[in-house]
Amino acid sequence: MKVRNDYLPDLVRIVAMTDETVDLRTLRLVFEDPSLRDRFSFLPGQFGQYSVFGVGEAVFTIASSPTRKGYIECSFKLMGKVTTALRDLEVGDLIGFRGPYGNGFPVETLKGRDLLIIGGGVGMAPLKSLIEFCLDNRRDFGEVTILNGARTVADLLYKKEMEEWGQQEGVRVIQTVDPGGETPEWRGKVGLIPNVLNELAPKPDGKFVVVCGPPIMIKFSLQVLDRLGFSPDRVITTMENKMKCGLGKCGRCNIGPVYVCKDGPVFTAADLARLPRDY
Amino acid sequence: MKIWTLQKKRVGDWMAALRAAGKEVLAPCEADGLLRFRPIDDPSAIAVRPGPCPFPFKEWLFPPHQVLFSYQFEGGKVNLREEEVLVNDQVGLFLRPCDAAAIKILDTVFLSDPPDGFYQLRRSHLTIVTLGCRQAVPSCFCPAVGLSPTSLEGSDLFLWEEDDRFLVYGVSEKGDRLVQVSPDLFEPGEGPEPDQLPSPLPFMERKEPLTNVGQKLQGLFESDLWQEVGRTCLGCGICAYLCPTCHCFDIVDESDAYSGIRCRNWDCCAFPLFTLHASGHNPRPDQPSRYRQRVLHKFAYFLQTFQQNMCVGCGRCSLFCPVGMDIYQIVLQLTGRCLV
Repeated sequence: MKVRNDYLPDLVRIVAMTDETVDLRTLRLVFEDPSLRDRFSFLPGQFGQYSVFGVGEAVFTIASSPTRKGYIECSFKLMGKVTTALRDLEVGDLIGFRGPYGNGFPVETLKGRDLLIIGGGVGMAPLKSLIEFCLDNRRDFGEVTILNGARTVADLLYKKEMEEWGQQEGVRVIQTVDPGGETPEWRGKVGLIPNVLNELAPKPDGKFVVVCGPPIMIKFSLQVLDRLGFSPDRVITTMENKMKCGLGKCGRCNIGPVYVCKDGPVFTAADLARLPRDY
Repeated sequence: MKIWTLQKKRVGDWMAALRAAGKEVLAPCEADGLLRFRPIDDPSAIAVRPGPCPFPFKEWLFPPHQVLFSYQFEGGKVNLREEEVLVNDQVGLFLRPCDAAAIKILDTVFLSDPPDGFYQLRRSHLTIVTLGCRQAVPSCFCPAVGLSPTSLEGSDLFLWEEDDRFLVYGVSEKGDRLVQVSPDLFEPGEGPEPDQLPSPLPFMERKEPLTNVGQKLQGLFESDLWQEVGRTCLGCGICAYLCPTCHCFDIVDESDAYSGIRCRNWDCCAFPLFTLHASGHNPRPDQPSRYRQRVLHKFAYFLQTFQQNMCVGCGRCSLFCPVGMDIYQIVLQLTGRCLV
């Protein structure tokens, strides 16, 4: 007998790929099932399980915006077994996708607000979805300030998008690289994101902040935001934890009583303060 | 609650009748050098000892290895094939009350939204016949988690040994239907309420309550006590594999150049790879932090999510731990009630 099977992925075809950096690639994916292309909907900040058949599954956020129909994108860094196999694939190849999973960013709450969006490294991926969502619904959101950083100039991703976003009205893009990561031509800032944030000293003024990046960057950025007077329920971040099922069953992504896959991955700083330091 | 009596020597006849009605009977017997639940025809092979059967019934609802789907590569294409699950009606015979209660805990995980199709199908085909405990073994601590040698939680029929017969309590309709399969074997009987049966409860030593310790344990999250209690853990995983409520799993592909399967396998929070990120970051980098997760998941987190503890006091983890870690004593130690 066939049973309800949430583990069965849909097939998606790689229609384009962009090498963002030497080890970071963005794939544009289209559902093989034509009815899913329009029907598939999600929120910025939600994620999926992407699979290379014969190798396994890995979790990535959906890096494109739900406002841009017909395809989804993911950005992944060459890291482990699945991402190594993914990099061997080419345009035209098929992979598996199941999702969307997780809560996503609270876009309704963010409407009408000025946004400060802080992203480090591949942590920009979920933020790209949110930024595109805001820009595609421009009148719903206030000023958007993007603070983006990477270890070196060569590690900055979404270079083309950053340039386009920076040219839009009401959008400001500030880029920084870690000390030593700059080149002679670099015109951006040099410094770790929390330090640059401290120097910029944005005022809370009803703003919402969305932070995503490596755990260490999030940790120190949250401390700076706290010092700058941002209320913890207006500071939003996304967590990553190892996941297998994405359905709140396999017991792997728990932080205390919370399942990152189901209750997250988006949490406010206030939520995090209530959880054990188990991430 | 209906009560019948069944002569012990007629159990084989009942099993034959159940089989004739298309049901598979699973009972504790010796298999693979262990005592575990296996489909059984011959009643003399049934091996019931005091205390729970070492290998729990869990494997029949949540198998150690479950194929989720399979696929074949064909000239640049991949064809997915859904997994067909074949399940007969099953009767779990001679589970202990702790094991029946454990199945209710698994239900809360696998039947809550979104329900797990594989578990759901197997569960709907299962009827649970429990044998109350006339004797406890030293590792038992069911009274500490709010259960007892005669609790009915999770059972469809509840049996109680009395000389050469069983008292048979009909706990659910599903259970009553097993009696109706061969009604002539069962005689209407009388007996006390199950909690009035002469169980070993008054003589059991391990009954300091482990319920309502969640908040206290969570308050100890940063405590050095975890180093003390967790450093003996070898991370072998026997506690999770023999636990009737542990349900963590891994999902992996097994394949060759032509085809493959995606399957889920039992996993364990004591293993270092369990939470290791591809980046190398591990939120639980050592055995004490992993053991802390085990204790907190069972006695704090699960309680917050599902309003019950994720432990039935069967004592298997304590009994079979190669370094003698005893979760009952450890929780008492953590909550300041024992200095062992």
